[in-house]
Amino acid sequence: MIDFFALALSHGLLALACWRILLRVDLDAEGAPPPEDNPVAPPSAKPLPKLRSRA
Amino acid sequence: MAITGFTLALLALGFRRPFIWVLAYLYIDILSPQKISYHLLNALPISLIAFVLAFGGWLLIDPKTDSRFTLRQGLIAVLLVYCGMTTLSADFPDQALAKWSWVWKALVFAIFLPLTLRTRLRIEAAALVMVLAVGAIIIDGGIKTVGGGGGYGELHLFINDNTGLYEGSIISTVAIAVIPLILWLMKHGTIFPPDWRVKGFGFALMFSCALMPVGTQARTGLLCLALLAILALRNVKRRAVYIATMAVLALIAVPLLPDSFTKRMGTIQNHASDQSAATRVAVWGWTLDYVKEHPLGGGFAAYLSNRVHVELKGETGAGNNVSVQTKDAFDKARAYHSSYFEMLGEQGWPGLVLWLWLMLSGLWQMERIRHRWKNRTGPDESWQAPLANALQLSLIVYMAGSLFVGIAFQPFCYMLIGLQCGLWSYLRRIEAAAPRAAPVSRAMIVPHAVAAE
Repeated sequence: MIDFFALALSHGLLALACWRILLRVDLDAEGAPPPEDNPVAPPSAKPLPKLRSRA
Repeated sequence: MAITGFTLALLALGFRRPFIWVLAYLYIDILSPQKISYHLLNALPISLIAFVLAFGGWLLIDPKTDSRFTLRQGLIAVLLVYCGMTTLSADFPDQALAKWSWVWKALVFAIFLPLTLRTRLRIEAAALVMVLAVGAIIIDGGIKTVGGGGGYGELHLFINDNTGLYEGSIISTVAIAVIPLILWLMKHGTIFPPDWRVKGFGFALMFSCALMPVGTQARTGLLCLALLAILALRNVKRRAVYIATMAVLALIAVPLLPDSFTKRMGTIQNHASDQSAATRVAVWGWTLDYVKEHPLGGGFAAYLSNRVHVELKGETGAGNNVSVQTKDAFDKARAYHSSYFEMLGEQGWPGLVLWLWLMLSGLWQMERIRHRWKNRTGPDESWQAPLANALQLSLIVYMAGSLFVGIAFQPFCYMLIGLQCGLWSYLRRIEAAAPRAAPVSRAMIVPHAVAAE
């Protein structure tokens, strides 16, 4: 049971990490000019949920 | 089954972004999923497949313009060749060949890894995968320790295999060595940006790391933990508060520790009465004698020829009636239980000098980075010095653990070295590029700094 929990937690995080890495454009090359409307945003292929503006 | 699926999915993702194969190799080499899963994986040479994919992906697809070959990678290459030569002339050819079969992979990967670490994200990703992969073992061990399932050589970690990172002394050393990396990821991570979840998990994982020496009852781990607590003094802002907090935590923790742990830790001071510790000292003496006749080393597993005699001293009675009794013990083919003596006995003086050069140059390089970057205030200039500091602390802890554990060729150490080489090479390139084309390249790297100017 403990083995299962430890494996599930660590592998869940590993899977999420790999997925996020996969979507980042700065994985293979840095220096791509950031979008002009959001120059300080971390480079990513898709906007992260936390960057969405709140009403 | 899920482990098999995860590993194969990881390899499949590499077809989209080949760097994932490098991460997959790190994961496989640390956790050994082929030993955990009974499905398919244990029938495949999964580590070799990941290595071939990682190397092939880099060779065929990755741009090489930003890759640099550094002096320390050269040192690893020399060590690799030298170990190959001592394997050919080893005292015990079969056993030497068995160790060589995994050592060469660790060394070749350490040479290769920095070539792939061309971006900040790749450096972070490698550190994160290393922490999470070893974290799987640590979380398992931590929970079992809290549940009272520990004991020297008794903490069962996923598999009933006392090798590699699943060995008590090794995992307790590595667990303490990754604490600085966890702290860095908690503060400077971009894959998992700092928030309450990241901090919560990070603190829980560090607590698990600190429990590993308790669960495995490995004395080395406790020494590493104490050393790390002292080294951290260099970076804390309020030292008095830190020392007071540590003292209070120690006072709270000691009564909660199991008796067997306290008794075993007591033998650190009194090694003459403990056969395990006394035999180590005898083996180290044997190694020094051995290299007088074999200064170039005896190849891997040269320890198999040792025969040691140990005198154990025990005290009985109390007060004025204490009597000291001496007991003779004989042992043979005892492992070195120290990376320094492991290198000396197996690879001789040249091997030890190379290894120490590799380690000490890492500490020096990280100190240089720390010095160069610590006062920079740009928005993308705050992670470098702390990472160098974390990698330096990790290596110091590893070197301290190496005093009492034979982990000179443990792949995890060479992954740390690979990260150091990658960071060193990456920052040298960034620094070299910055003044040459200041307005353009700095704008691309640190848009904030240019905006501020």
